[in-house]
Amino acid sequence: MKSLQIAATGMAAQQMRVDVISNNIANMSTAAYRPRTAEFADLMYQQYLTPGTISSQVGTIVPAGVQLGTGVKPASVSMEITQGSMRPTGSELDIAIDGTGFLEVTLPSGESAYTRDGKLNRSPEGQIVTKDGFELADGITIPQDARRISISTDGEVVAYFANEAQGQAIGTISLVRFVNEKGLEAMGDNMFRETEASGTPNRLIPATEGVGVIRQGYLEESGVDVVQEISELIEAQRGYELNSKVISAADEMLAATTRLR
Amino acid sequence: MSNAIYAALARQTGLMNEMQLVANNIANSSTTGYKSDRAVFAEFLAGGRNNLTDLSMGSLAGHSFNMEQGGLRMTGGRLDLAVQGEGFFLLETPQGQMLTRAGHFQLNEQGELIDTSGNRVLNAGGGPIAIPEEATNFTIAADGTIAANGAIIEQVGVVVPTGELQRASGTMFTAPDGYAQAETPGVIQGALEQSNVSPVLEVARLIEVQRAYEAGQSLIEREDDRISKFISTLRQL
Repeated sequence: MKSLQIAATGMAAQQMRVDVISNNIANMSTAAYRPRTAEFADLMYQQYLTPGTISSQVGTIVPAGVQLGTGVKPASVSMEITQGSMRPTGSELDIAIDGTGFLEVTLPSGESAYTRDGKLNRSPEGQIVTKDGFELADGITIPQDARRISISTDGEVVAYFANEAQGQAIGTISLVRFVNEKGLEAMGDNMFRETEASGTPNRLIPATEGVGVIRQGYLEESGVDVVQEISELIEAQRGYELNSKVISAADEMLAATTRLR
Repeated sequence: MSNAIYAALARQTGLMNEMQLVANNIANSSTTGYKSDRAVFAEFLAGGRNNLTDLSMGSLAGHSFNMEQGGLRMTGGRLDLAVQGEGFFLLETPQGQMLTRAGHFQLNEQGELIDTSGNRVLNAGGGPIAIPEEATNFTIAADGTIAANGAIIEQVGVVVPTGELQRASGTMFTAPDGYAQAETPGVIQGALEQSNVSPVLEVARLIEVQRAYEAGQSLIEREDDRISKFISTLRQL
């Protein structure tokens, strides 16, 4: 009686879909969050009678055969590559990436991580750091006496001083692009790590070679579309109920069998 | 003597299998590109001593799959493709070339288009499709042409089988008689073809299978009663 297990895989799949949706909804206000979607694939088939089996001496074959499926499995939970809307904040160290690309962050361990969350800050030593205090890999230090800084669309950081009209270039924020962004491993805290599937990071100057541009004074909002998530949630819930119906029907069939003796 | 029980038993076994099939359809009601499955029963004759006692039994003989197009779900994903109307995407799998309508594709580390299991998607000429890294803003046209910055990069192959279509799994098919390029492919970027499982139909079949099973079970019970009565009557004689 495999129907019970098959329906259980169906329920587990719908449960996982609800988990993914709830995580998306929970992150509807997370800066630069990209919604995830769960994709499913059918499990292997039990071959009772393989299609193409010869069914007579004259060479006639079985056209469709008998293959019984064994359920469903999650195939991927992948990040959707969407551009979140831009929210103006007016802060000079808030940047948003308009287009593809990630900011490279150096973790305390010396490893690199990648993020699209452009809520940057100044460390006590004047370095440009993320909200967690990790330094940008570009290693830009803002001089203490700088009155204000400006970041151009191509990532150039210019500091202005009180007594000079002309600014002074102090560095460039570069963007990193991957062949397969969906292959990045999410680490939490809006950061990602390079994997074998993502390909190697390619460091580029913003606004060149198709990479995104930097917008100072804006933050990228979460890409979650709440209406879509809610309709998916309803679908997942109904799918769960349908699978539970199969379980109760299979159970009644088994009960009928045990009533025999 | 107990032939009636055997006939009912064959039916019960078939119904159990059909139940498994219904369960599999319902479990895959959210699987992209899944085509629902139907059981086909065939009868065979169990020979008796003469024509009068021949007994017909049913067994699960094959499947028919429903190739009806599933609904399209707009996802907005750049690499989510659906085929409107006839046609399949071509995949290179370890088991040979396979046809599918499940178009949730991704890129691998070399920039090649792959499906969720890592199988390469093939172009019209049967080669892998590589999208250059600089082409960040590409579009995929209805005929499968991938273009970026005004230049054509590749073409996603959309094929139709020339002969029979065989089912390898719920989403993968093979064309043993070969395939040809679709004449008017309708590729839609940013959409996925949903499973074509109809919940109403499946639940109706579920109830049907369950009731038929119960009917078969009561037949076996009554036949059992009849035989035991027969035996006890014999003893009293």
